[in-house]
Amino acid sequence: MRKRNVRLASVALAAGLVLAACGGEEEAAEAPAESTESGSEETVTVEPAQDGGSLLAAVQERGTLKCGVNTGLPGFAAPEGDTYVGFDADYCRAIAAAVLGDAEAIEWIPLSASARFTALQSGEIDVLIRNTTWTATRDGSEGASFAVTTFYDGQGMLVDTDSGFDSISDMAGTTVCVQAGTTTELNLETYFAAAGLAYEPLVFEDNDQLQEAYYAGRCDGWTSDLSQLAAFRGTWPAEQGGTESVKILSDVMSKEPLGPLTSDGDTEWFDVVQWVTFATIQAEEFGITQGNVDSLVASTDPEANPGIGRFLGLVADFDPGLGLDAEWAVRVIQAVGNYSEIYERNVGPDTALGLPRGVNSLWTEGGLLYAPPFR
Amino acid sequence: MAGVGLSATDAPRVAVWRDVRILRGALQVGFVVGVVALGVWLVSNLTTNLDRLGIRSDFEFLGAPAGFRILGSDFEASGTIREALIVGITNSIRVAVIGMILALLLGIVVGVARLSQNWLIARVASGFVELLRNVPPLVLVIVFYQVTLEVLPRIQDAAVSNGFLFSNRGVWIPWVTLGEGSRTYLAVLLAGLAAAIVVARARRARFERTGEPARAGLLATATFLVVAGVGWLVLDPPITPSLPVLDGRLVEGGASLYPEYLSLLLAMVLYTASFIAEIVRGSIQAVPKGQTEAADALGLSPGQRLRQVTLPQALRIAAPATGNEFLNLTKNVSLGVAVGYAELLRVAQTATGNGQPAPQSLSLVLLGYLTLSIIISLVVNVANRRLQLVER
Repeated sequence: MRKRNVRLASVALAAGLVLAACGGEEEAAEAPAESTESGSEETVTVEPAQDGGSLLAAVQERGTLKCGVNTGLPGFAAPEGDTYVGFDADYCRAIAAAVLGDAEAIEWIPLSASARFTALQSGEIDVLIRNTTWTATRDGSEGASFAVTTFYDGQGMLVDTDSGFDSISDMAGTTVCVQAGTTTELNLETYFAAAGLAYEPLVFEDNDQLQEAYYAGRCDGWTSDLSQLAAFRGTWPAEQGGTESVKILSDVMSKEPLGPLTSDGDTEWFDVVQWVTFATIQAEEFGITQGNVDSLVASTDPEANPGIGRFLGLVADFDPGLGLDAEWAVRVIQAVGNYSEIYERNVGPDTALGLPRGVNSLWTEGGLLYAPPFR
Repeated sequence: MAGVGLSATDAPRVAVWRDVRILRGALQVGFVVGVVALGVWLVSNLTTNLDRLGIRSDFEFLGAPAGFRILGSDFEASGTIREALIVGITNSIRVAVIGMILALLLGIVVGVARLSQNWLIARVASGFVELLRNVPPLVLVIVFYQVTLEVLPRIQDAAVSNGFLFSNRGVWIPWVTLGEGSRTYLAVLLAGLAAAIVVARARRARFERTGEPARAGLLATATFLVVAGVGWLVLDPPITPSLPVLDGRLVEGGASLYPEYLSLLLAMVLYTASFIAEIVRGSIQAVPKGQTEAADALGLSPGQRLRQVTLPQALRIAAPATGNEFLNLTKNVSLGVAVGYAELLRVAQTATGNGQPAPQSLSLVLLGYLTLSIIISLVVNVANRRLQLVER
């Protein structure tokens, strides 16, 4: 009896000690781990300067681009076979074409909203193109750099076509279904309060429940990002009246600029991603398309047309120093076309999403798309 | 035991590290130290990580304006997060308390029905139990929500009758608007209640003393009505009826039961009732057979036998297990998240989705449901103690 007690006691005491020690040890172990982590972060930031390679060299050596995309958002990044199709997916292809010369040399990495920044910080992906809104907080504290915006989105409102609502100001005394998410409720409240409209918000965590509730007439409007609403409208089931039975109001309640992101501290790689994006915009401005790029390369006289000549890599002594060869922009256009083609193919008026260009037009047409000069 | 006795008498010869009493003490101290160290480490780890990520770890955000509204409440967007969370837990309590009462009543009825000698009633009751208790409550909530939305008419075709308004935006019932003097009148009503209790006690005491018929209930009710009536006349009707009126897509007046609330409540009541029914059935069967036979021997009718002999004893047996079901019901209220019911978790998630810190918000949800559960536990324990047979 006594022996057993002693043994029991010593085992438990040992367990207690181990527990306590564990606490101490892990605490101790954590501190160095943390410092090495920040240390390695520093080395990552220093590395490019040392060998001049940055992620660009690493990607070229690897031969594939690790691109982080949405797990499935029609029009932007939707899985199809082994690859992804959509607006965001095409920008992955454009980068792969410029950097690797092969638009399909991509390792697709689908990411949830909560996992995306971690994946970028940890180096699991080279670039994140996953309808991510550019905000000050994200730019400042998520360790990410936002390249130029590829899609100017905003929070919108979807209503029945026969509802008689032509703008949000008609929606006094309605119930609005809200898809829970970052600032959706706040934008809704701000907008309705500013317009002096009474309303009731019904917040759903899950899109499917929200959609069922909307079908049943539980709410008069459905608010979310315009691009997402367009995707849902495009796939509106026929037994619920099909696409034409609902419409998206023209009011935009918030600014949601979406674009590609790279990890902080690698300016060379950031510049490449940035300028691949600019190339698609500049190509539209020049009128260079997937169809005419090859004939333009053959026929353009760089003397007479130096702007287009530099873009197509025909001016012999022009090297912007992006670390890419002269024909990178040509490959981008060959692979995915210019901005207009990417837009029209994935989200434009003739697609299921049917989004008009709106503010996503060239600056020459009153839109927000503006590429700095290629010179 | 010999060993312990030996160590007690020959204390000097036993080394400290082999003394059972010291070892036992050391064990307990060591364990407490270990647990505290683990706790301290976890908390410091959390705060360190939050600091590194630039996320605040204090609770000052509770005083910040919420910026969002909550369905079915007067909560304004300018209210604070603290007020929003209070609306959330009030909504949780609304489902939990009403759910418990209804589930208990329904559970007793179904439990008794399962033992009925009427074949049809017994089968229907056991079908009810088997169907409901074998389905996950989340599925029930979602199914009932869909059904509510489909069955009730759209707001444009809302059915209005006798002050009731039915639509899938909610069911509106006649209600009252409290006027200015309503608080004073509430005090009058409470005073009337107190007077009624005094009268009832006095009558009962008189009955004990003299054996005169007490008529306690009758006289107490009369006292209450007199006080209430006089108060009503003096204060000039402070309470006016309010009927729901449809105005476009908005309903003015009345009190509304939203489909989210209705479907969650229905799911909670039916699901919990199916378990309580089984507890009641088991408890009735656990009442010794001799009790039934004695009741029969006294010539009680089956109804009397159930009400006077079997059920009072069965419910005593059922009380602790039913308390557990009440706790389950309360916790299951958080499933309202799935159908957009603004209970505590939904409100906290809305807050975190709109930039409030998640660790603190969620720990408040934890604390909220924990507090609710502990209160219910205490009430059930007290009730249980008072229900127990006092053996003399």
